[in-house]
Amino acid sequence: MIARTIPFLLVCGALLAQSPAVKLPPFSKKILPNGATLIVIEKPDVPLVTLRAIFRGGGEAVAPAQAGLAPLTAELLRRGAAALSASQINEQLDSLGAQLQTSAEPGSTVVALEYMKRNQDASLALFEQILLKPAFPEAEFTKSRAQAVDRAKSAKDNPGRVINLYWDPFFYPAAHPYHAPLSGDELTLASITRDHVLAYHKANFTGRNLILIASGDLAASTLGPRLEQIASALPAGEAHKPPAAAPVKFDSPRLLLIDKPDATQTYFMIGWPGLARTDRDRTAVQVINTLFGGRFTSMLNDELRVNSGLTYGARSRFEEERLPGSVYISTYTKVESTVQAIDIALGLLTSLRDKGISAEQLLSARNYIKGRFPTEQLETAEDIAAILGEIELFGLNKGEIDDYFSRLDALDLDQANAAARKWYRNDNLQFLLVGPAAKIQDQVKKYAPKMKVQSINTPGLRTPPFD
Amino acid sequence: MKRLLWPLLLLCSLLPAQQIQVSEHSLSNGMKILIHPDRDVPNVALYFFYKIGSRNERPGTTGISHYFEHMMFNGAKKYGPKQFDIEMEKAGGSNNAYTTRDITAYTDWFPKSALELMFDMEADRIRDLAFDPKIVESERGVVYSERRMSIDNSPFGTLYEQVNAAAYTAHPYGWPVVGWASDIEAWTMDDLKAHFKMGYAPNNCVMVVTGDVNQSEVLALAKKYIEPIPAQPPPPAIRTKEPAQLGERRIVVKRPSALALLLISYHIPETRHADGPALELLEAILSSGRSSRLYSRLVDKDQLVLNINAGTQLALDPGQFLFSMQVRSGVDPIKAEAALYDELAKLAAAPVPAAELEKAKTQKLAGHYRALKTISGKANLIGQYEVFFGDYRKLNTVAAELEKVTAAGIQRVASQYFKETNRTVGTLIPVQGGAQ
Repeated sequence: MIARTIPFLLVCGALLAQSPAVKLPPFSKKILPNGATLIVIEKPDVPLVTLRAIFRGGGEAVAPAQAGLAPLTAELLRRGAAALSASQINEQLDSLGAQLQTSAEPGSTVVALEYMKRNQDASLALFEQILLKPAFPEAEFTKSRAQAVDRAKSAKDNPGRVINLYWDPFFYPAAHPYHAPLSGDELTLASITRDHVLAYHKANFTGRNLILIASGDLAASTLGPRLEQIASALPAGEAHKPPAAAPVKFDSPRLLLIDKPDATQTYFMIGWPGLARTDRDRTAVQVINTLFGGRFTSMLNDELRVNSGLTYGARSRFEEERLPGSVYISTYTKVESTVQAIDIALGLLTSLRDKGISAEQLLSARNYIKGRFPTEQLETAEDIAAILGEIELFGLNKGEIDDYFSRLDALDLDQANAAARKWYRNDNLQFLLVGPAAKIQDQVKKYAPKMKVQSINTPGLRTPPFD
Repeated sequence: MKRLLWPLLLLCSLLPAQQIQVSEHSLSNGMKILIHPDRDVPNVALYFFYKIGSRNERPGTTGISHYFEHMMFNGAKKYGPKQFDIEMEKAGGSNNAYTTRDITAYTDWFPKSALELMFDMEADRIRDLAFDPKIVESERGVVYSERRMSIDNSPFGTLYEQVNAAAYTAHPYGWPVVGWASDIEAWTMDDLKAHFKMGYAPNNCVMVVTGDVNQSEVLALAKKYIEPIPAQPPPPAIRTKEPAQLGERRIVVKRPSALALLLISYHIPETRHADGPALELLEAILSSGRSSRLYSRLVDKDQLVLNINAGTQLALDPGQFLFSMQVRSGVDPIKAEAALYDELAKLAAAPVPAAELEKAKTQKLAGHYRALKTISGKANLIGQYEVFFGDYRKLNTVAAELEKVTAAGIQRVASQYFKETNRTVGTLIPVQGGAQ
């Protein structure tokens, strides 16, 4: 199957809205004695229930030398718990028709189980073991780590994927909590020991760090107490202390070219410092980004794809994490048109700052965000669990939900254009390229006097120092 | 762990809860309309399934179905270039489209307030598509970029294209949906116009509407906008039948890659064939979940591969059962290949234990219902069942069809199709030049 576009996703995480027809269902929230937060929400459309356990910590609680520890620990939760072996857990999950997903984010680890309503008791028993009694068997640790190393190596076969993995080490300075790649690389993964996993688990998988959400075809009156029992069994432990970091700043443009001699397209990202998940400008930036590179008719996609045929897709994104992240343009084009595409992207960025957006564009973006909102954010039990989790994790409040459409409506043209000038910078830009260096490096020098070329075969995802 | 009872309970509990109620209608020009109201969200999914895909192409114009899919967004009579997307996004909607060997599908998602606009724009482009030479050229560049991304710069994409070409010697499933590079460079305006005339008639299309709609309003809009578009002769039948394969075919691709890849294809019948449910269950037994036979043997126990996927694709003509694996570093791909054949031989030699068969049925059914969580998931499934299974009603008999399959039936199907003479084996061998 070959699709017209790679879907444009709204980059907003917990952007919710109150409208006459779209409302978050009522939910109950409780703080347990060990510090855990429990949220239960009834959303009965299919006979399925989603449990979402979010532990604060994630990638930012890991030492850079052990990058990859967070997802590795998350994976190992399902590879042995109490008396159950990894294969017994797998057999139970599959027989129940349940799905378990574990993942790590920059600021959290997520354990999500979706089960059939009819199999609630057996599913909860399994979830309880995984959450409370992971065993981290030595053999499973060794196996998982070796698999993660091979996975890290093979990521370099896909230039569109690997450019995203290089972005954090390139963009964030070495001391920043987001500098090390979340999934690690073959070097950092190889240095992780089982003791690292045990210590990381003990420190972070605590009651104080837990946000547990149940959403779906459930009865809050019976499931609530059972989940309370499970969550309460975790030791209170210490609350995760989010590391501080100075805002990312650049004194000059930099360009890193990852040399992949066999690539027939150049993949590039152009970025600059952006905002935090809780920044008060987030609604304005959502609107501006929609118009600049967040949908099919956006300025970037219109010019680079529709008008010039240079690429299959061009977009811009802004990261939304606890600490201010990056805003970036990303696309790809055949090697011969690398400079032409970058020049067009830079021209559009300057034009956005200089000319701003029109009232008509503001209206269109507002309608687009609102129109997609119900199916993007509120349609399934998982959507709602994810949103509620994000609100808790980032310390947002109900206003994030209830006031979103009114905040969108209240945004006037001057405010939107002020946000465009503030958050869409064109000075000291950071260029990351993956492509054949021999064919393009002389041409792309012009973008940054500080340019480095590194072979994609250089082990790991480390990027060279620029100063 | 033997969990015999739970899956049986599941089958009983899911069935009554998940009947999808669909009303069926036909316009006088032959377009079929399937409507499923669902007011969980105030949005609508409007899908058009045109029964034309890469199998309707010929050498020299491969990929033109997909190219045409792009051109459908590039302007018609009332809504000119870019207007389809501009008007749609302004009204709070978004869209995508996809092309397969058999169909081209157009997928619109929008708030219910945009329902009439969408009918107007869809009718405009089916009736009066424009062919602007300048846009034809720029879109050629877009499609070429898509090919570079999905095939030329992807080890798996490269191998898949080659295995596919080797598996089919006569039938058009052998060429890539995106098209050969030289054909992408050479399509002409006349090719595009001929393709439009061949495939884009209302009588060659199924419309599916799910979401916050009333049947009467949908039908009124369909009558107003779509019904006046005249019917045309449908695309000619595909005459060519792939001859039976008489011996294993092997191909090798050498290119930069971190890990070796294996892709193994067996010929199987078309989707609506009576063996379909058994093949679906074989897919689950072999590779659904980590307790599946291939994951537990090749990924977990023997640690020969990083991942393994097995499965069929929807197909109007006889298709393929494909196995793909990324081989672990330091492992000879031949060992992974041998382990796969060993597992397939076991399926042919002995019936699957009852608990394992029940597990597979549970997994398939649970997966089916997961796909029905959203209005877009439902629109897609309704259309796929109508086109590929011949009747959207079969959406509601999935559990019963799976239930009919016996262990003996699985064994018979495994031994019939997973034969050495029926397979095409592709190996990607990494060479210097990329990531090592």
